[in-house]
Amino acid sequence: MKILIVEDDEDAAAFLAEGVVARGHEADIARDGREGLTMATGPARYDVVVVDRMLPELDGLSLVKAMRAAGTATPALFLTHLAGVDDRVEGLEAGGDDYLVKPFAFEELMARLAALARRPTLGAEPTMLVVADLEMDLIRRTVRRGGQPIDLQPREFRLLEFLIRSEGRVATRRMLLEKVWDFHFDPRTNIVETQISRLRGKIDHGRAAPLIHTLRGVGYTLRAPH
Amino acid sequence: MPRTSLFRTSGFRIAAIYLGLFSASVAALGATVYVAVRSEESAEIDGDIARESTALAREYSAHGRERLQALIEARGGEASSFAYGLADADGHPLAGDLAPPGATLGWVYLPAPPRRDAPARARALVTRLDGGERLVVADAWRAAHGPTRAVVVAFLWALAGTLALGTLGGVILSAQILRRIDAMTRAAQDIVAGDWRRRIPETGADDELAQLARTFNRMFDRIQSLLEAHKNAGAAIAHDLRRPLARTLRHLEAARGENASAEATKAAVAAAVADIDGVLETFSAILRIGQVESGARRAGFKPVDLAEAARDVVDAFLPAAEEGGRTLVADLAVALPLSGDRELLTQMVANLVDNALRHTPRGARVAVESARSPDGLSLTVADDGPGVPESELERIFQRFYRLDAARATPGDGLGLSLVAAVAELHGMTCRARDNRPGLAIVLRLPETRVARR
Repeated sequence: MKILIVEDDEDAAAFLAEGVVARGHEADIARDGREGLTMATGPARYDVVVVDRMLPELDGLSLVKAMRAAGTATPALFLTHLAGVDDRVEGLEAGGDDYLVKPFAFEELMARLAALARRPTLGAEPTMLVVADLEMDLIRRTVRRGGQPIDLQPREFRLLEFLIRSEGRVATRRMLLEKVWDFHFDPRTNIVETQISRLRGKIDHGRAAPLIHTLRGVGYTLRAPH
Repeated sequence: MPRTSLFRTSGFRIAAIYLGLFSASVAALGATVYVAVRSEESAEIDGDIARESTALAREYSAHGRERLQALIEARGGEASSFAYGLADADGHPLAGDLAPPGATLGWVYLPAPPRRDAPARARALVTRLDGGERLVVADAWRAAHGPTRAVVVAFLWALAGTLALGTLGGVILSAQILRRIDAMTRAAQDIVAGDWRRRIPETGADDELAQLARTFNRMFDRIQSLLEAHKNAGAAIAHDLRRPLARTLRHLEAARGENASAEATKAAVAAAVADIDGVLETFSAILRIGQVESGARRAGFKPVDLAEAARDVVDAFLPAAEEGGRTLVADLAVALPLSGDRELLTQMVANLVDNALRHTPRGARVAVESARSPDGLSLTVADDGPGVPESELERIFQRFYRLDAARATPGDGLGLSLVAAVAELHGMTCRARDNRPGLAIVLRLPETRVARR
C-alpha cells in the first residue's frame, strides 16, 4: 500500500510512517492541510490517506472536502482525538471513509487501512461470494459449504458476509461492532466472541480446514486454506 | 452582610401598613359616629334653646320686663346650662352675660360667655320681644360637655391605643420574623463559609417560614450530596486508575529486568498494553459522559423508536447472554417514540443490559420491557439477581459508584452514569427500584403533547 499521512505532530507522523514501513508499505508525510491537499491530488497515486482532524493551514475536514471536490476518490481515514469522539458523523459527511480515535492500537489502524485500500471499486456487485468451498448467495441469502446448505441467523449471515468481503484481511473487534452490529461503542459483554464462536460452529465445526481464524489481541480473519 | 434593622424589615413594613389602615378605619368610624351624634345633639340643643326662649318670652308677656330681668339674673350663672342676654330696643344691655349682636334675629353663633368650660362658640337664638327688647338664649354647656365631646375623646383614646398596640405588635412580629430570617441568613453564611453540615434550625411550626427553612435544608442536602459525589468521583478516578497503572508499572519493571526471557518480556508488555487500554477506555467513558451532559448532541435529534433500539440491543446480546447461562427476554410491543440520538439510546440500553448481565449469577433472568401506563411510556430493564440495597438505589447512577460487593466484578462504574446522562439529555427520568428480588431500572419517557392528547 502507498499511504499518505497528513499529520502536523512530528512524533506522531514519524511513529505512523515507521510502523507502516515496518509492515512493508510505503508512506509519505504532509505537515499541514495545504501540503496534504497538494500531495493527495498530485501525480503520486496513494491507496489511502490518513488525515488528522486538527491541522494547521487547512483542517482535516476541509482537506477531504476539497480533495473530493477535486475529483480524487482516494479513501480517507480520519484520526480524531479522544475528546472528539462525536466527530465521526461530521467526518463521514465530509467525504471521509472511516475514522479512528486516538490513541489506537497500530494493528487496528493497519486493519482499517487495508480494508479501505482494497475497497472494491464501484461496478457490478457480485451476487455470489466464494471462498474455497464456502459459497454465499447474496440474492437468495443462502450459504453452502462443500455443497451442504448451512442455516444462518440474520446476524450470523451479516457477520460472515463481512468476513468474506474482507477475505485475507483482519477484521478487528471494533470494526465488526461498527459494521455488523452498528454499535459505535464497546459493550463489556463478549457479544462478538460469542457470535463468532457460533458462526464457527456452523461453518468450521468438524471440517479439516477451518476458514475463520483468531488473531489474538487483534481480531479475526477469514481465509482459504493453503 | 449587616444585620437587618428592625424597622427596615418587611415584617415591620407590613405591620406599619396594617397599622395605618387600621388607624384610618378607626378614625373614619370615629368621624361617622361624631357626625351622627353631633347632628342629633345639635337638634336637641336647638330644641332646648327654643323652649327656654319661648318660656322666657311667655314670662315677659305675662309679667313684664322686670320679671324677665329677674328670671335671667336668677337662672344665669356658673351652673346654668344656658347663658342669657337682654337688651332694649336701642341695644343697651338690660340683663345677662351676653350682648345681643346687632340687629340680627334668629339662630346665630356667638362668642362664648365668659365662663369656665364654656365652648369657644355658643349656639344662640335671638328673638324680639313684644316691647322691642331683644332676648338672647345661648347654649353654655352642652356643646362642651355633651355626648359629642365624649365620643371624640373616646375615639381619640381608642386611636392612641390602636397606634400603641399596633406599633408594639409590629415590633414583636417583625422581631420574631427577623429572628428566624436571621437564623436562615446565618446558616446560609456559614454554608457559604464552608460548613456544609450546617442547616437552618427547623421549628415545629408549619408556617411558610418553616416551609422555606425545610426547602432550603433539602436544597443544602442536595448540594452537599452532589458535592460529595463530585469529591468522591475525583477520589474514585484516582483509586480506579491507580490500580491498573500500578499493575502496568509492575509489568514494565518486570520486562525491563535483566534476566527476563524474551517470552516473558513480550507477555509483560502485552499485559501493560491491555491495562493502559483499560485506562483509556475509562477516560473515554468519562469524556463521553461529559459530552452527553453538555447537551451538544441535542442538535442532531431525530425521531426514533426507543423500543426498536432496545430490540436491536437484545438481539445483539442474546447469544452472549445464553452462553453465560442467563435468560434475556424482551417484551417491546409498545412503541416508544421520541426525538433523540439513536446511537446514544442504543448505548444506553446496551449499558443497562450489560449491567444486568454482569451483576447477576448464572440462571438469572433479565427482562427488557416497554409499557404504556397512565403515567406515560416507559422502558424497564429488570433482573432477578441480588439487587441493590434500598438505601443505595439513589446512588447507583453516580459516577464511579460501585457496590462493595461489585468491586470484584470488572467494570469502571461508569455504565449507569452514562445511562443517567443519556436519559437526562432526552428528558427521560431514570429510576432504580427494588424488583423483589433483583434490580429494575425504569426509564420514563418525556410526555409529549401527542401522547397526552
